[in-house]
Amino acid sequence: MMKRSKSKLSWARSRLVVCGFALICAPLVQGQQLEARLRLSGSTTREAFEPLRGILQQCSAVVYDGWKSISFGVVITSDGYLVTKASEIEDAKELNVRVDKTHFKNVRVIATTVEWDVALLKVEARDLVTVEWDTDGEPDHGSWVVANGSTSRTRRRVRVGIISANAREVGGGKAPVVLGITLDTNKKAGTLSISGVEEDSGAADAGLEEGDLILSADEQEIGKIEDLQEILAGKEPGDHVKLRVKRDDEEMEFEVELRTREKIFEEERSRNDAMSGRYSKRRSNFKRILQHDVALSERSAGGPLLNLDGKCVGMNIARVNRCETFAIPAGEMPKIIEDLMPKTNDP
Amino acid sequence: MTQVLPRDCWRRVGASAALALISLSLGSPILAADEKAEARPLYNLQEAPESIRDLLAIQEALQRSLPRTRKATVGIDMGGGSGSGVIVSKEGMVLTAAHVSGGVGKKLTVIMEDGTKHKATSLGLVAETDAAMLKIDEEGSYPYVEIDKEERALMGDWVFALGHSGGFNKERGVGVRIGRIVRWADQTIQTDCNLIGGDSGGPLFDLKGRLIGIHSRVGASLEQNMHVPIRVFLRHWEKMKASEFIGEGPFAEKPVAFLGVGTEDREEGGVEVKVVGKETAAEEAGVKVGDAILEIDGNEVENKEKFSAGIKGLKPGTKVKLKILRDDEEIEIEVELGEK
Repeated sequence: MMKRSKSKLSWARSRLVVCGFALICAPLVQGQQLEARLRLSGSTTREAFEPLRGILQQCSAVVYDGWKSISFGVVITSDGYLVTKASEIEDAKELNVRVDKTHFKNVRVIATTVEWDVALLKVEARDLVTVEWDTDGEPDHGSWVVANGSTSRTRRRVRVGIISANAREVGGGKAPVVLGITLDTNKKAGTLSISGVEEDSGAADAGLEEGDLILSADEQEIGKIEDLQEILAGKEPGDHVKLRVKRDDEEMEFEVELRTREKIFEEERSRNDAMSGRYSKRRSNFKRILQHDVALSERSAGGPLLNLDGKCVGMNIARVNRCETFAIPAGEMPKIIEDLMPKTNDP
Repeated sequence: MTQVLPRDCWRRVGASAALALISLSLGSPILAADEKAEARPLYNLQEAPESIRDLLAIQEALQRSLPRTRKATVGIDMGGGSGSGVIVSKEGMVLTAAHVSGGVGKKLTVIMEDGTKHKATSLGLVAETDAAMLKIDEEGSYPYVEIDKEERALMGDWVFALGHSGGFNKERGVGVRIGRIVRWADQTIQTDCNLIGGDSGGPLFDLKGRLIGIHSRVGASLEQNMHVPIRVFLRHWEKMKASEFIGEGPFAEKPVAFLGVGTEDREEGGVEVKVVGKETAAEEAGVKVGDAILEIDGNEVENKEKFSAGIKGLKPGTKVKLKILRDDEEIEIEVELGEK
């Protein structure tokens, strides 16, 4: 008999409970199964969504790094402006894009916003078909939504699902920033020293070292972790903090660039992450999101989310876990795009 | 398939099912069968939706059922972990998974979608299939869902799952996921409604909002989402209601009875008490260090292994009579066993 492991589904908060939830081996129960083609995203079921597949084919882009597809994009102007998920393309070396069957080798990254994790791309085109943003307010729970699933070089495939939960802010709506150091507190002496410097962090680039004793940040005296957190709370990625430290009885000053937390520190994987397959690196801290259950992967975010009318209700921004995908609501997009677009009086 | 239903079940049926019951009692089973066939909506008769119009029919049915079913779907806080559940009676009877309720007589907190909390106590469970029942302590009139007692759901039917994925979150609310029944087995329903930790114990509905299963576990693939069929609950309804622990593992472990003494074998037979645990059943009953336990419920105590195995075989709360030799005098002490 075939055995397959299954995980129980209670969400365990404490380690103690986690131990109690060992994997259960349940025998595969015999019985007739629904053919794969008839399942939610099966080939026969997908045929009903054919008109929407046609729209995705035209007004969304596949974004590649060389030959590898790394995300999707939304066509927003007929002359070749696209938006995509910024954190998925930042390491791309040979960015290229395919819209419908046309391949664009020359792609410029015009601007990005860390706040929304959106990048504005530009390709040289003239007659692209743009998405039609839905302006009827956010879709209700249970509304069908359609996104780009896997793709061949020339033919898109849909993945489908429904709006799953309330639209809302997630994770405080702001990407937390870090210096890239771990700290040791000596409560008795009231001092804070650096016990570790993360690779590729602002702290490492600035030259901070393990053992440095932190004296002040932005001219404010630092005695405990909370003092430092207070200063970081108001900052954005790319901002700098002036750190004064003591090293070998010598006082030194460093300008440290702040970077987003998920870039520097590896996230701890939860039990739910372990059962979730591939999810987006940046999947929290958005001011407003729609939640849906379309089973995307980290490489299929960035594209449009359509309703049954073929209108674009949002831009997929993160695969969160096994049952949650986030999209930026259509209502937020005009402002985001406006802020990213080059101003007419820019040189 | 016919299902003998516990009487109590009928009290929570909706008007339509009550009508079906009346028509049966009038002796027209053929009519009832016709009604059953008619009741199957087009989206479940079609192999798959064929057009946007077909998809809209699914969407409309789902959206009609959502407000009612969401209201009756609850988060369950077990203290140190959380799951989901669904209210199935006005009085606050909740169905959930056995690995969520964790046992019989446990104190839990039930959280409504709006954040209102209610204290609840777990009733019985079926350890083999992951079915459990609990009851909200406070009397009240709670929102509840209808159970698909006729077991109308078939393989391929469109369904939706509700639950508090990852724990209760008021801003997010109850999460809904759509899918189809991928496999129907006696003890398990498999769907492609994606579940995750925290959904355990949450409800699976047909698109008319009738409860057909309770979420239990997932496999590695996204299409392996397993639910306990409602028939498991119906089959064991009365026993669960009477707080019975049914079956053996793997979803719940039977509580082990606990006396609270450390013993050593005596040459003359019986066991000698070397330690009495603080706040244990033994201490409460007055068992003392140095006591020699000779008999338990009239059966001779041979050695410490057999003595402790005998205790473990009993249910917590069982009263046992110990014949004890203390200061050359035989006394009898009654102990109500605790729980380990």
